[in-house]
Amino acid sequence: MGTGPPANEGAERTRRRTPFPFLAPVHSLLAGWTGLAFWLLLLLLLALYPYTGVSSVALFVGSQIFVLVTLASNWNLIGGMTGYVDFGHAVFFGIGAYMMGILVTGAPLLISPEWGFWQALPASGVAASLFALLIGLPTLRLKGPYFSIAMLGTLVAMREIARVLRPLTGGGVGLNLPPLLNRLGDYYLMLAVMGLVVSLIWWIQRSEFGQSLIAIREDEIGAEMRGINTTLHKIAAFMIAAFFTGIVGGFWAWQNTYIDPDVVFVEARTVEMVMMSMLGGLGTVWGPPLGAVVIYYLQDLLWANLFDRHLLALGLLLVAIVLFMPEGILGTLGDRSSTSLGRLLSRVGRSR
Amino acid sequence: MTSDQQPLLEGHTVSKYFGGLAAVNNVDFAVYPGEIVGLIGPNGSGKTTLFDCLSRLQKIDSGQVLFKGRDVTGARPYQVARMGLTRTFQSVRVYRKMTVLRNMLISHQWRDTSLWRMLRPSPANTAHRALQLLEFLQIEHLADEEAGRLSGGQRRLLEIGMALMPDPDILLLDEATSGVNPTLIETIKDRIRTLNAQGKTFLLIEHNINFIADLCSRVYVLNHGEKLAEGTPQEILQNEAVIDAYFGA
Repeated sequence: MGTGPPANEGAERTRRRTPFPFLAPVHSLLAGWTGLAFWLLLLLLLALYPYTGVSSVALFVGSQIFVLVTLASNWNLIGGMTGYVDFGHAVFFGIGAYMMGILVTGAPLLISPEWGFWQALPASGVAASLFALLIGLPTLRLKGPYFSIAMLGTLVAMREIARVLRPLTGGGVGLNLPPLLNRLGDYYLMLAVMGLVVSLIWWIQRSEFGQSLIAIREDEIGAEMRGINTTLHKIAAFMIAAFFTGIVGGFWAWQNTYIDPDVVFVEARTVEMVMMSMLGGLGTVWGPPLGAVVIYYLQDLLWANLFDRHLLALGLLLVAIVLFMPEGILGTLGDRSSTSLGRLLSRVGRSR
Repeated sequence: MTSDQQPLLEGHTVSKYFGGLAAVNNVDFAVYPGEIVGLIGPNGSGKTTLFDCLSRLQKIDSGQVLFKGRDVTGARPYQVARMGLTRTFQSVRVYRKMTVLRNMLISHQWRDTSLWRMLRPSPANTAHRALQLLEFLQIEHLADEEAGRLSGGQRRLLEIGMALMPDPDILLLDEATSGVNPTLIETIKDRIRTLNAQGKTFLLIEHNINFIADLCSRVYVLNHGEKLAEGTPQEILQNEAVIDAYFGA
């Protein structure tokens, strides 16, 4: 029965050094309070950015990037830290978007007059969060690929439900929201949401709650056996991640002024979240935001040069990330990398 | 032996079936406070399944488990853990991507943990206790190492440390010596004795007969899911049925 690995206590395990010695201080600076301080400083600079006399297009681009960063960070909470790879996370985006759409247009089924944006936005988050509770109770019992597939199924099912519930959602015709353009307001709103979400992830990651999520990812049975109420912790993480995804969905619906099942319940949006998190570094605080920014500009670049084939290039990029740097940018450049690319960089770094 | 006392952990006609196979069949047992009890038997005799039933990892098909006199038959694993029953695993379960110290910190006693505490980093006294235990297990120099990088034996020690973190009343150790070198086995043995002297109760699954004979006051023998014998290690080693089960046809 002795299935344990052979003992070799005498063997000295040498820790690999970071491939880029000059990056070592960056890593230690990103950890802990200094990381948060840098983040707050960045937020301050971004808040001053509109005062430099930029165009409304730049503000729009800014708010789009903030949306992506928020989505990536949220997905990372459940997919990266807790290890429940959610292939249907866009469902919360869609529910948030529809909640906004239904409330502000006062869709036929509702007797009450239409809501304003500021009342509807929190409602979008709450709706997504409650849906996460409802769907998480059965699906979070599933492990690994079964959970991923169940969530993908949820996304597809919700798309069809939105199509069928014509009186509430407008069905395939969709909903038209009042077009009120406010690029500066959008910019600041999403800056605030992004700032809050990433700071929250930073806070969670160093708390016992966050550590318990990582423990669940690493060994769920072990975590449960050592007194962690794994069900409760998973549901809590799922609901938090869904809440802010719903908020972003609601915002997106408002900004886009039109929603239908095929534009909000999209698999591609989930893929995007997965890709941004993985590229930056799964389970890290600063990885997913970094990945989101990189993906945004990469998408822009690919689209400008390859037009309709840019999705092909992005797909290939995802394959490459999984194969060569599953730990993402931050993980691969870190001093504990265990992937082939990390080791290669490590060797290159040392030979200098 | 200490029959006037209330057992710390007891099972009444505990049974667990996998399809038609009775992995554990009508097993009665009792572990008293302060004892070190061994659980032995050939491969596939149901030892680990019984452990899983006790720590609530597996549902019991019939029978009853009492811990501290309370019926825990339907409890969830985290609940019995919070009551003071912790265990280790035959195939070690540590959080590989976390450092040794973080593995220890997150295994603290979760009973009465407030929401406020959960939203904060681990407090200093928890870290202090974790470092003390690592020192006790002689792996304090590995505190900042990732658990996935430890050797098999070091991981077993870490797992014992994690099981000790919440200050449990009873520890269930599943093959604590498998894959561990002889020197380290002596360390583990010594640590179990020290902890037992401090009042901790142990239930050990073991294939290492010397280990059992040195430590245990009483031994249960399982075979084909049924209790074959119980007694002192000396009695067990001379028991015809036990010898038959291990070496016979």
